[in-house]
Amino acid sequence: MAQLTYRDAVAAGMAQEMRRDPNVVLLGEDVAAAGGVFKATVGLLDEFGAKRVKDTPISEQAIVGAAMGAAMTGLRPVVDLMFSDFFAVCWDIVANQIAKTRYMTDGQVTLPLVIRSANGAGSRFGAQHSQSVENWAMTIPGLKIVAPAFPGDVKGMLAAAIRDEDPVLFFEQKSLYATKGEVPDGEHVIELGKANVIREGTDVTIVALALMVPRALKAAEMLQEQHGINATVIDLRSLVPLDTQTILREVAKTGRLVTVEENPRLCGWGAEISSIVAEELFWDLDGPIVRVTTPHIPLAAANNLEDAQLPNPERIVASVRQLVD
Amino acid sequence: MNVLMPQLGETVAEGTVANWHKKVGDSVIADEIICDIETDKVSMEIPSPGAGVITKILVPAGTTVEVGTVLAVIESGASASAGAAATKSAAPAPQPPAAATEAPPPSWYAAMPPAMSEAKEQYTPQASTSSAAPTQLAVASTGGPQAAARDTHQRLSPAVRRLAAEHRLDLAAVSGSGRNGRITRRNVVEFIQTRQTTAQAAAPVAPVVAHAPTAAASAPAAPTAAAPTPATRAPIPGPAPASAPAQLGTSVPFTRIRRLTAEHMVRSKVTSPHVLQAVEVDFQRVDQVRKTVRDAWKAKHGYSLTYLPFIGNAVCRALLDYPHLNSSVQGDALLLHPQVNLAIAVDLGAEGLVAPVIKAAEKLSVAQLADAIADIAQRSRANRLKPDDFAGGTYTLSNSGTFGTLITAPIINQPQVAILSTDGVRKKPVVIETSEGDAIAIRPVGVLAQSFDHRAVDGAYSAAFLDRVRKLLETSHWVIDV
Repeated sequence: MAQLTYRDAVAAGMAQEMRRDPNVVLLGEDVAAAGGVFKATVGLLDEFGAKRVKDTPISEQAIVGAAMGAAMTGLRPVVDLMFSDFFAVCWDIVANQIAKTRYMTDGQVTLPLVIRSANGAGSRFGAQHSQSVENWAMTIPGLKIVAPAFPGDVKGMLAAAIRDEDPVLFFEQKSLYATKGEVPDGEHVIELGKANVIREGTDVTIVALALMVPRALKAAEMLQEQHGINATVIDLRSLVPLDTQTILREVAKTGRLVTVEENPRLCGWGAEISSIVAEELFWDLDGPIVRVTTPHIPLAAANNLEDAQLPNPERIVASVRQLVD
Repeated sequence: MNVLMPQLGETVAEGTVANWHKKVGDSVIADEIICDIETDKVSMEIPSPGAGVITKILVPAGTTVEVGTVLAVIESGASASAGAAATKSAAPAPQPPAAATEAPPPSWYAAMPPAMSEAKEQYTPQASTSSAAPTQLAVASTGGPQAAARDTHQRLSPAVRRLAAEHRLDLAAVSGSGRNGRITRRNVVEFIQTRQTTAQAAAPVAPVVAHAPTAAASAPAAPTAAAPTPATRAPIPGPAPASAPAQLGTSVPFTRIRRLTAEHMVRSKVTSPHVLQAVEVDFQRVDQVRKTVRDAWKAKHGYSLTYLPFIGNAVCRALLDYPHLNSSVQGDALLLHPQVNLAIAVDLGAEGLVAPVIKAAEKLSVAQLADAIADIAQRSRANRLKPDDFAGGTYTLSNSGTFGTLITAPIINQPQVAILSTDGVRKKPVVIETSEGDAIAIRPVGVLAQSFDHRAVDGAYSAAFLDRVRKLLETSHWVIDV
């Protein structure tokens, strides 16, 4: 077990799979010589060579289009899209082509590709480079959505995404790149679609994703120490497939649900989970379902404004207290 | 925490605080008995819903109040010193609505720029759900303890509703620890656990509805429970005393149970035109089987096998054939009950008379009925009957036989339409008709006398029923499994 940063875990996961399968290739802007804009692919060019680790021109459409073609013809490409905001220029290929190919070819053509991107706020990149776009992607049938919070999960889930026969959008939270955590040595694969109960409580179940996971965990500690409220915290890790079994099981135990989302409020993933829980667990609920989200506004670049926009432990604590008191 | 007058039975609407074991300023722990409640023919102890200090006693001893009324207020936690308690009871200031402090708009909403105003308006109701609810609660609870108690019942979460339904709880007995006294799921779960613990400790505390009534039981109100209870009790109607010299004789005040019995008897006589019919029954066959199993029964069950379970068994079987006697008069109709809930009059000596009910007695064998009768008689005398033990009776047996009475004209147990008195069984010379001529034999003979409500049935119907009971007792091949 090694202590790795989140960004090193990306490289570790890539390297593990590139060693295992020669069909795995990496392409993106500055992924090769520069080791990635976020330094998440350092060392890959040296180990695997320019044929498998390719720098591309600045055209996100071209990158994902090339990846689609490569996947159709037998490779297992991994795209580094850099900022997830750039999905906006890629939706035709991602949403209209990649997501639908297996269905429209009656399963004859599968697309085992991964699109990695640096998602979310917290690093003062402003409105066009800080968005949490997982809820954009979640609305498109045919895409798997993964967003780990911890280095160990980054390595294991990236490996699983690369081995998956279908397109996976792998969201790395850019403000977590510098965080450290334990990463198992050797081959490490985590099945997609399994949420992780990282704290077990009795009073309320908090469901979070990516950057919101450590904040929810911090909030749970504050709730316990300052208010005697014992919270369960679930790290979703994957939105599609969604681990509804774990969510429903844990919410049934506490009777209360709070979702913590970084994406803007309207139609965020928490709304979907609220809907599922309300439908499946109505008679187990002991209070209204509460969503904590970023407001429905473009994100600010200024430190204080961005901090005010994102859910933080204090806001989570306040929301939970209002529900549980 | 509010201490409420618990729901004491399906049909019981009020109870009387008999006496307080605690006074304002006393500390109590959870489940400590704080007062006694009387209702109809039951008295029970009320445990504290939690630990704290009694800050208010709102219903003095001797006062009758409706179910759900707040009897006392217990303040939990360290803040509840006796001194603070006294201050608070003097000035019961309701909590301010506190909308501004407790329910700020969600920050995302406040931060929304003007460009989003359209979306903001559309989204306001949903967005503010979690913050608006407490405000409404706070406003609603300013009406004082009673209002708060009502609100508690209006705002139950789905989980609480489901638990209450599954465990057939009366939530009036559950104290809420949530915002503004709201009952949380944990409160209910802990209440259920406490109740089980208490029940195991054999304390006669059951501030809950013990079981759902059968279809039959839910229809007629329990006899005395149905009595209207004006705030100030009217005197029991009767002939005015004939200017008796006041100082002669000794006045014995009615006990509560004596008063209730008196009220009920008068009401029954006013309500139902009573007709008495009686048959003489030869208990030869019953006696034979009783003698056969007598010692073994006594050894196993600890009591003697009497005539009563045999009579009860015959009555139940006959009632299935004469259902109009297992009924209630409701307006212009006779409500026939689908099962026989057999009320058994039990004499408590100086304490009065009660008539606990054996539900679905027609499904019981003689032996099972004997056990059921022994059980309710024993619990009656131990004062351990629950309110619902009195609910839902459809026919009553009154047994004066142990005193060797010849015949008794019983008063109907309302809202039933008939009651059977079992009188003394004595050995008598009886003419036996055989094919070889008549003979005289010595047989155990007793009278069964039924009072029936002539509104419900006529004499021929009642007589046919009695004849069926007699034939069943005289001709059945009784088999008793000891």
